Amino acid sequence: MRATLRRTLGLAWVVPALVLVGVFVYLPLVQNLQFSTLKWDIYSGSQEYVGLDNYTKLVDDPVFWSSLGNNALYAVVSIVFQVFGALLLAALIEGVRSQRWQRALRAIYFIPSAISLTVAGLLFYFIYEPNLGPLNHALRAVGLGELAQAWLGQESTAMSSIIAMSQWQGFGYSTLLFAVAIQRIPSEIYGAAAIDGVGAVGRFFRITVPLVREMTGLMAIVTLSGAFQVFNEVMVMTAGGPNNSTQVLGTWLYRSGFVRNNFGYAAAIATVLFVITLAVAVAQLWVTRRRRVEW
Amino acid sequence: MRPRALPTFAALLGTLTLAACSGGGTTQAPKADAAAKPEFSGTLSILTKFAGDPTGPYFENLAAAYTKQHPQVKFELIQETDQSVKDKLKTLTASDALPDIYFTWTGNWADNYIRGGRAADLTAVIGPNTPWGKTFSPGSLAAFARDGKNYGIPLYGNGKFMGYSKSAFDKAGVAVPKTFEELIAACGPLRKAGYEPIAFGNKDGWPALHYLQQLFAYNVPDATLQADFDPATAKLDDPGYITALNQFKTLVDQCTDTKSGTNGVLYSSAQEAFANGKAAMYYQEILEFDNATSAKVKPADFGIFQLPVPQNAAGDGSVLEGSPEGYLINAKSPRVALAVDFMKFVTNLDNAKTLSAPPYGQPSTVVGAVTEKTSSKAVYEGVQLVNKAPKLAIWLDTVTVPEVADAWLAGGEALISGGSTADQVLESVRQASNAAK
Repeated sequence: MRATLRRTLGLAWVVPALVLVGVFVYLPLVQNLQFSTLKWDIYSGSQEYVGLDNYTKLVDDPVFWSSLGNNALYAVVSIVFQVFGALLLAALIEGVRSQRWQRALRAIYFIPSAISLTVAGLLFYFIYEPNLGPLNHALRAVGLGELAQAWLGQESTAMSSIIAMSQWQGFGYSTLLFAVAIQRIPSEIYGAAAIDGVGAVGRFFRITVPLVREMTGLMAIVTLSGAFQVFNEVMVMTAGGPNNSTQVLGTWLYRSGFVRNNFGYAAAIATVLFVITLAVAVAQLWVTRRRRVEW
Repeated sequence: MRPRALPTFAALLGTLTLAACSGGGTTQAPKADAAAKPEFSGTLSILTKFAGDPTGPYFENLAAAYTKQHPQVKFELIQETDQSVKDKLKTLTASDALPDIYFTWTGNWADNYIRGGRAADLTAVIGPNTPWGKTFSPGSLAAFARDGKNYGIPLYGNGKFMGYSKSAFDKAGVAVPKTFEELIAACGPLRKAGYEPIAFGNKDGWPALHYLQQLFAYNVPDATLQADFDPATAKLDDPGYITALNQFKTLVDQCTDTKSGTNGVLYSSAQEAFANGKAAMYYQEILEFDNATSAKVKPADFGIFQLPVPQNAAGDGSVLEGSPEGYLINAKSPRVALAVDFMKFVTNLDNAKTLSAPPYGQPSTVVGAVTEKTSSKAVYEGVQLVNKAPKLAIWLDTVTVPEVADAWLAGGEALISGGSTADQVLESVRQASNAAK
C-alpha cells in the first residue's frame, strides 16, 4: 500500500515535466505531421486535407533535392574538417611541449566558436563582398587578382564559401573536445610506445586514434546532425540564393512557408528533416553505448 | 522502454494528435463598424515598415502626440524593415495575431488579406465620396479598393526612377538617355570618366524584379501582362519577356562593375556607392531620393529620369513602375473605430506634409502634402511624374502570387549569374505558374 502511494506520489512529481515536454515538444511534432497533410491558406485560415500530396511534390521538387545535396555536402566537408582535421590538429597541439603554447593555441583555435553563427555569417558576408571585401583585396594585392570574384553572388562558389565559413567557425570547438579526449589517455602508453621505437605518426595512428574513437564517433554524429540543421549562416549570407543554389533543407522549408505561402509543403520538408535528424540521434545513442573505451 | 510505458506513450501521442487535429481554422470575424464613435482607451498595436533611420521616429512621434490628446490610449509599435516586415506579417497572420493596424503593399499582397477577411471594410469612412476619402489622390485610394469597397489607407506614393549624378554625366559628356539603347551606350563613357555607370546590388533578389517589371511593361502588351500575373489565365509565352530579360542582362553586363557577381552585393551597398559619388546612376524609389542625396551627391547635383523605353518595344512605354503603400485595419480588432481615428490623425495635412519632407521624404498620398516647399525638388518631381503616368506597374513581387514571384526572383538571379538563359528563366516561371493554378 505504502509502496503504491510512494509510486503515485513519485509520478505526481513527474507530471508537470511530462506536460511541458508534451505541450512544447511532442504536440508541435504531431501538429507538424498534421500540417504536412494539409493545404493551408493562412489568410482565410482554411485547411484542406490533401493526404500525402505534399510528400509527392517533394519527390518532384528539384530545389528539395539540391537542398538535400547541399546538406550532404555540408556534412561530408564538416566531417573531414571538424572531425578528422580537428583530431589531427588536437594531436599536434597536445604534442607541443610548452604548456603555455598549448593553452595559447587552444584559445586561438577556439575563439571563432565563441562568435555566434549569425555574427560570423555577417562578418564573412563582408569578407566575401566583391567590391569592398578584404578577400578580393588580398587576392589582388598578392597578384592573384584573376581569382577575385563575387564569392556569394555566383552559383558555382556560393555554397562552398558558406561551408568554408562554417568550418572556420566550428573547427576550434571540435579541436578543443579532441584535445580533452587526448589528455585523458594515460601518458604511460605513449611512453611505452616511444621506448619501443614507435614514432610520432605511429603513436597517432596506433594509440591516439583508437583511444579517442568514442569521441570521434560522437563528434561525427554531432557534426552530421548539425549539418542537417544548418540555417542561420545561409540565411545571413545568401538567404538560399543565387537561384536557390545555396538552399539547404532548413532554408527551403522557411522559404516554402514564409515566402511562397505553402505551409503544408513546408511542414512536409520539416518532417523529412525530423526523420533524418532522428535517425542520426538514434545512431548517436547507439554509438555512445557500444563504443566506450576503457583502460 | 518498459512494457507498460509503451501503451502509455501511445495514449499520450493519441491525445496530442486529437488535440492537434481539433485546432486550425479561423473564426468568422465580427463585422467591424469603422464609422462608429471611437472609445479613447486601450492599447493600439501597429506594425509599420519604418524601422531604423530616417523613418523610425515618424510613427513614434505621432503615437506620442496622439497619447497627449487622448491619455487613455497607449501604443504598441512594431517597426520592421522592408525585408523583415514580410516574414513578420506572415507569422502574425498564421498565428492569428495580427495587430490592429498593419502595413501592406498593393496587388496580390493586399488581396490576400482582403480575401481572407482580415482587412476591415473602410468604405463608410474612406470611400471616395467621404470627407476623409476626398483628402487622398483618387488613384492611391483605388489601389486598395476591391469590388467597389475600400480597405486600405494609402500613406505614401512611390515610383521607380533612375537617379543620376548630373556632374558625372557632364564629366563623361553624356546626355540623359532617351532610349534604353542610349542608356547602354552611355555606360562606356561614364566608366571611362571613372564611375561605375549603374550601381546595382541584388543580394535580396527583388531589385532585379524592379528592372524586370518595368521592362516587361515596355515589351509585353498590357492585356497579356495582366493575364499572365494570374496563374489561372497565364500563358507566359509572349516574346516580349525574352526581349526584356535579355535587355536586363545587357544592362547588368555592360553597366555594372560587378556584372555576373551582382547577386553578392547588398542593395544598400549600391545605394551608398551612388550617394558617395562612386557610381553615376542608381535605379531607386522616390522613398530613397532624400537618402541618396544625404552624402556626397547633393540635391542640386541629383536628377531623375524614367527607365528609358527600348526602341520598337511592343508594350506600353508610358507605364511607370510604382505603387502606393499603406495600411490595413484588422477586421477582428476590437478597436477598429479607434484605429480609424488614429489613421485619420496620421494622414491629416500637417502630418502628411511632415512625412513628405526631409528627413522622411515619403511622398504622402494626401492631396496638397507634397509641394515644392514641403518636399525636396527630386521628390516633388518624382511625385509629379507618378501622378502624370497613365498607368502604374505594381511591383512584380507583390502583383502576382508568391510562387510565381519567387520563380521570377530566382530567375532574375540566375540570369545575372549566367546560370540560366532568358528562355530557361521564362520556362521555370511558366512551370511555377502552372503549379500554382
